[in-house]
Amino acid sequence: MQLESPKRPSLRDALHTAALALLLVPGAAKAEDAKDRVDFTSLLYGEQSRTQVIEPIIRFTHLWPDGQSVSTQLGIDVITGASPTGALPSGVVQTRTSASGRVLTSPAGQIPVAPFRDRRVSLDSEWQKPFARFLTSTVGGHFSREKDYQSLGVSGKLSTDLMHRLLTVTVGGGVSHDTVFPVGGTPAGLSDATIVHTGSNAKNVSNVLLGASRILSRRWMVGVTGTRTFESGYLTEPYKVISLMNRVTGTPMGDLTDKRPSTRDRSSLLFSSVYHLTDDVFYANYRYYWDTWSVRSHTIDLKYRRQIDPDTYLEPLFRYYTQTAASFYTVGLTQGAPLPDYATSDYRLGVLNTVTLGATFGFHPEDSPGEWTLRAQYMRQSGDSSPPNAIGMQRRFDLAPPINIYAVVLGYSFGY
Amino acid sequence: MSVTIRAADLKGGREPLLSRIEDYFVGTFTAMASPCSVLVDTEDRSEAAAVLSVAEAEARRVEQKFSRYRRDNVVDQINHSQGRAVEVDEETALLIDYAEICHDLSEGLFDITSGVLRRVWTFDGGSRVPSRSDVEKCLRHVGWSKVKWEKPALTLPQGMEIDFGGIGKEYAVDRTAALIAARTRSSYVVNFGGDLFASGLRHGNQTWGIGIDDPDRTGAAALYRLDVATGGIATSGDAHRFVRWRGKRLGHILNPKSGWPVADAPRSVTVAARTCMEAGSLSTLAYLQGAGARAYLEQNGVQFWIV
Repeated sequence: MQLESPKRPSLRDALHTAALALLLVPGAAKAEDAKDRVDFTSLLYGEQSRTQVIEPIIRFTHLWPDGQSVSTQLGIDVITGASPTGALPSGVVQTRTSASGRVLTSPAGQIPVAPFRDRRVSLDSEWQKPFARFLTSTVGGHFSREKDYQSLGVSGKLSTDLMHRLLTVTVGGGVSHDTVFPVGGTPAGLSDATIVHTGSNAKNVSNVLLGASRILSRRWMVGVTGTRTFESGYLTEPYKVISLMNRVTGTPMGDLTDKRPSTRDRSSLLFSSVYHLTDDVFYANYRYYWDTWSVRSHTIDLKYRRQIDPDTYLEPLFRYYTQTAASFYTVGLTQGAPLPDYATSDYRLGVLNTVTLGATFGFHPEDSPGEWTLRAQYMRQSGDSSPPNAIGMQRRFDLAPPINIYAVVLGYSFGY
Repeated sequence: MSVTIRAADLKGGREPLLSRIEDYFVGTFTAMASPCSVLVDTEDRSEAAAVLSVAEAEARRVEQKFSRYRRDNVVDQINHSQGRAVEVDEETALLIDYAEICHDLSEGLFDITSGVLRRVWTFDGGSRVPSRSDVEKCLRHVGWSKVKWEKPALTLPQGMEIDFGGIGKEYAVDRTAALIAARTRSSYVVNFGGDLFASGLRHGNQTWGIGIDDPDRTGAAALYRLDVATGGIATSGDAHRFVRWRGKRLGHILNPKSGWPVADAPRSVTVAARTCMEAGSLSTLAYLQGAGARAYLEQNGVQFWIV
């Protein structure tokens, strides 16, 4: 039974439809007030007597009033210095030749390192677009190239707000196709590197991501993100070697090349918390990582942003990282013993502990259009100095001397 | 606890101002000849500042584009088209479509061409009314049915004008609200000169407290306080601009058919709806019914408050 006047029963509906027709058209808000933003950062990174990195980055972001944005980032890394080859220290001066004909010598009792100089150029782009009020999509692409490595990839992400924006769920994924073409060719794995094949090696990486963040109170937000990454193809480090030790004295008798499995599934779970105090913000993250190479790691990351005044802040940082060794990690191989299927002496796959202390200082000088940030970090990296399978003289050496790493990042951002 | 917003709180200046009130931030500025404000339910000043800058930019953009007092905008171009067709952009076309729907739904009482009548009416609180012939001369240049709207081309007969005054502010509110939604997860209220939109419950399930002003004492005391979580609210009325004639108070809202102010209308009509645009149109359409405003709102199942 219709009690209301049939004349205008749908006035509200008609207006609602008309209003939505007007308001839901994203193109209606013209790009007249588009905002552009430029960020410069320059990273200076130094490992004590090892690698030095200078990495200037410039990022340009264009923002439309409807929340859509496009950003493009160009980065150039200049890496110089020396990296441990994986070989063991020797009681005498060691000398080696590499596939490319370089001759390396190391002082007695020290971890052999190989000097290198590389330049890496990377280009990243991202397009973010909100749909309606609760759905945001992001698509991105990246390309990077250095003299022996190239990476090309795409990624996508979709976020939606649920429960009156109290809960945000994000799903995403990406694929990347990498090519490794070592200088001087690719040595066969676990060989003396006399057999080299020319041409490039493929490496495919795909990943999926599922995350949720929840606002618990107006001050506190927590989140959890899980990722799975599948790597396949050439995952070996062509320049790393493993020492062959004399089974009694431990004296390095020669080197074999590194060899790793051709697949690696990596998983991680990240728990994060952001707590707003009146002006300050406290960030706490914990990450657990595991992979099919038996590497397990824990990371604790704490940051406190102290807002000194509206234009100045100081953000101290503490990070602790600890990692177990890959199942095929070894300090060296024993001469005469049967060779394993895979082996590496790359310290990055061994036991590794890193403590990071740092602080970021952000300030916005009056009359300056932009904001400056200065970040300084000190990292102390250590591993297993006396692994159980060290033999003979190797027991005398510190096989994982702590490394001090310093990084300074200067940034400047402005919008116009 | 909730918050009451009244016109008196909106001390908008030319420069946007951000202040913290209890546990939320209020950003104020002046645009569209009105005090404007945004309330952001956050503890984070930089987030509130970002919301304020989005709101101010959008209010100024809409004002610049649709104000009939500006030169070199689309409205100015249409009003000086001398009978020639003007091709308009997508956003303007959608706004014209909306105005046309309001015109049809109100059976011609809502009309964006009625602004011409202001040439003969002065709502300064005095008692001067125009002569019958002046009004009739004016009415020749009023009436949406005389306009040719073939999207995207609008042809206005010579002497006619359009004016988005009746919907522009509400449009700016909803558009701004949508832009803010893309920037923050905090609850917020956009209030442009009393037309407003609230985005949702505040922290701890608090509502936003919205005051309805006493038309005779703007800013002094709120007659009602509405507890609002989500939606648009708008008020039509004759608060300041009126003439006195034969003992009656005639508000500034004109009936485009008679050329005279709407007679026996309530002092103010406040409506709540899903968007600010709908609330604004419903309150205006109701007000145009004069004495029949209450019945009209009841008949259409609208949530309203009449003073």
